Amino acid sequence: MLDKHPPAIESPRYNRGKAFWIGMGLLVIAILILLFKTAGVGAQAPPPAEPCLQCHVIPGLEKKLPNGEKLKLTISAESFARSVHGSRLICSDCHAGYITAPHPNRNIDNRRSYSIAQYEVCKKCHFANYTKTLDSVHYAMLNKGNQNAPVCTDCHTSHDVTHPDKPRRAISQACSACHTAISKTYVTSVHGKALVEEDNKDVPVCTDCHGVHNIHDPRIESYRLDVPDLCARCHTDETLMDKYDISTRVVQTYLSDFHGVTVSLRQKQSPDSRTTEAVCTDCHGVHDIARVESTNSPVMKANLVKTCQKCHPDAGPNFPSAWLSHYEPSPQKAPMVYFARLFYLAFIPFMIVGLSIHVMLNLWRAITHR
Amino acid sequence: MEQTLEAGPITRARAEYVERFSLSQRMEHLAIMITFTGLAITGLPQKYAGAALSQWLIIHMGGIELTRLIHRILSFIFTAGALYHAGIIFVSIARHQFRPNIFFSFRDYRDAIAVLRYDLGISDKHPEFDRFDFRQKFEYWGIVFGGIIMLISGYFLMFPIFFTRILPGQAIPVAKVFHSYEGLMAFLVIIIWHLYGAHLEPDKFPGDTTIFTGKISRERMQKEHSLEYERIVREERERDEKAQEEKEKIDEKVN
Repeated sequence: MLDKHPPAIESPRYNRGKAFWIGMGLLVIAILILLFKTAGVGAQAPPPAEPCLQCHVIPGLEKKLPNGEKLKLTISAESFARSVHGSRLICSDCHAGYITAPHPNRNIDNRRSYSIAQYEVCKKCHFANYTKTLDSVHYAMLNKGNQNAPVCTDCHTSHDVTHPDKPRRAISQACSACHTAISKTYVTSVHGKALVEEDNKDVPVCTDCHGVHNIHDPRIESYRLDVPDLCARCHTDETLMDKYDISTRVVQTYLSDFHGVTVSLRQKQSPDSRTTEAVCTDCHGVHDIARVESTNSPVMKANLVKTCQKCHPDAGPNFPSAWLSHYEPSPQKAPMVYFARLFYLAFIPFMIVGLSIHVMLNLWRAITHR
Repeated sequence: MEQTLEAGPITRARAEYVERFSLSQRMEHLAIMITFTGLAITGLPQKYAGAALSQWLIIHMGGIELTRLIHRILSFIFTAGALYHAGIIFVSIARHQFRPNIFFSFRDYRDAIAVLRYDLGISDKHPEFDRFDFRQKFEYWGIVFGGIIMLISGYFLMFPIFFTRILPGQAIPVAKVFHSYEGLMAFLVIIIWHLYGAHLEPDKFPGDTTIFTGKISRERMQKEHSLEYERIVREERERDEKAQEEKEKIDEKVN
């Protein structure tokens, strides 16, 4: 019976199974290699074997510049590898024209002028953000010849570029390098404190209000007029405000009152001329915004007269309560206002309907009895 | 032969028109007409500042600051008119010439019911009116009380620092509610009531000119203010008779 089966059939069958297992094994090895390769980048992998690094990792390598400054030419291959560019760029992507050794001589006056000259380099990949910077106050300063105006590398660093918002406070820390005094004020504010102390994801960092690459001059009038809209972005977000038990009606109540009406009309009418009416920051502070319950808040009841007097120097102690502190009139808060409005909301329709009926009856009689 | 100086009153009695409003009253109406319209045009867009039409109006009036300035200048004229009106009343009382014909009386209530019955076709008898009918009285008192509310609340809003020195702060938002809603109501009442009563009413279409010329036809007087007209006619007759008597006396003496 066994002889009936030709051995020629059994052999390929056996071989097929063996090939399958070998194939699977190779696949697993390939996947493992691939996994190790990706995981290894940045963490343990050796610095890319770039020809430049044969020299530029030697400590103390530097070039003397005409103004006496020394341009350091040593970089840390490890920290570059860890940077966001480590696995994507090679040296010559940014530093073009140094292929030949010795390098051709470049006219570099000082370290700053070298940094500024490198400004254009980032554009090759980050075109959109580069273009945005051209609208910024920083670029305008640079254009006017201010060499200290920041370029890409001043905020993002050059070789150690990391994700700018990891951690989130790093954004505000980048600005603090130049804007030291404001930064010191900001970290004491309700927003800054939450950012620094709890790494809060909700509070605004510098760029949330000032913009990221197209940072405008906050001293221009139209920026001031946009402040209510700026604050409204978070302060009308219900899920966000519920977390902190803050009313989302603060913007609406502001906009429906005297200051808000003027400001929102001025926004449409003449956004670039001086508007004296108060915006959010005039009462609540700018970089030093405090909790309204805290004793040093300018809108704390005890401090309110002083805050009003900034614009209304003759304001007396009763004056602040002329503003309902973002509350909507209710029988508890501002009962007089509430009931006066209730009266009119009932009386006006009664009056109008009554008079209209009278007019219509009169007309009807005149028409039917011609 | 009879057309002598003394015959003056007789000629007037035969004239087609009688004088209903003095020049001063006509000027008062003109002033309130202009200021009211101006105040509504500059005020309502401030109440509804979010509406597209309001923004269009405000921008075309030269911006919010200029709109507010115009509103305030008009309010001073309105104030002056109100003080003038109060002064006129005061003087006429002092001279014992004041006739309280604008006050509401029980008769007006009855007239209103009668008009309602007439309009509904229940009755065919239209009530007869004196110098002012109940609708005119209603409009007058609407302007008086509305004007007082608008003036007080308006000055509260114009000088909040001053008023919060003597009053609690809440007075200002209360004044804002009064000013804003009373203004809206005045506007709507004028649109419905005055536009109908003075322009669209079939007898008066396209407009009653009496308030501008001061003159009203005897025919209309007879129809719309019959009680006053009867009095006018009686007075005219008495005057004529008196003049006639005096003329006869003079004639006797001459003869």
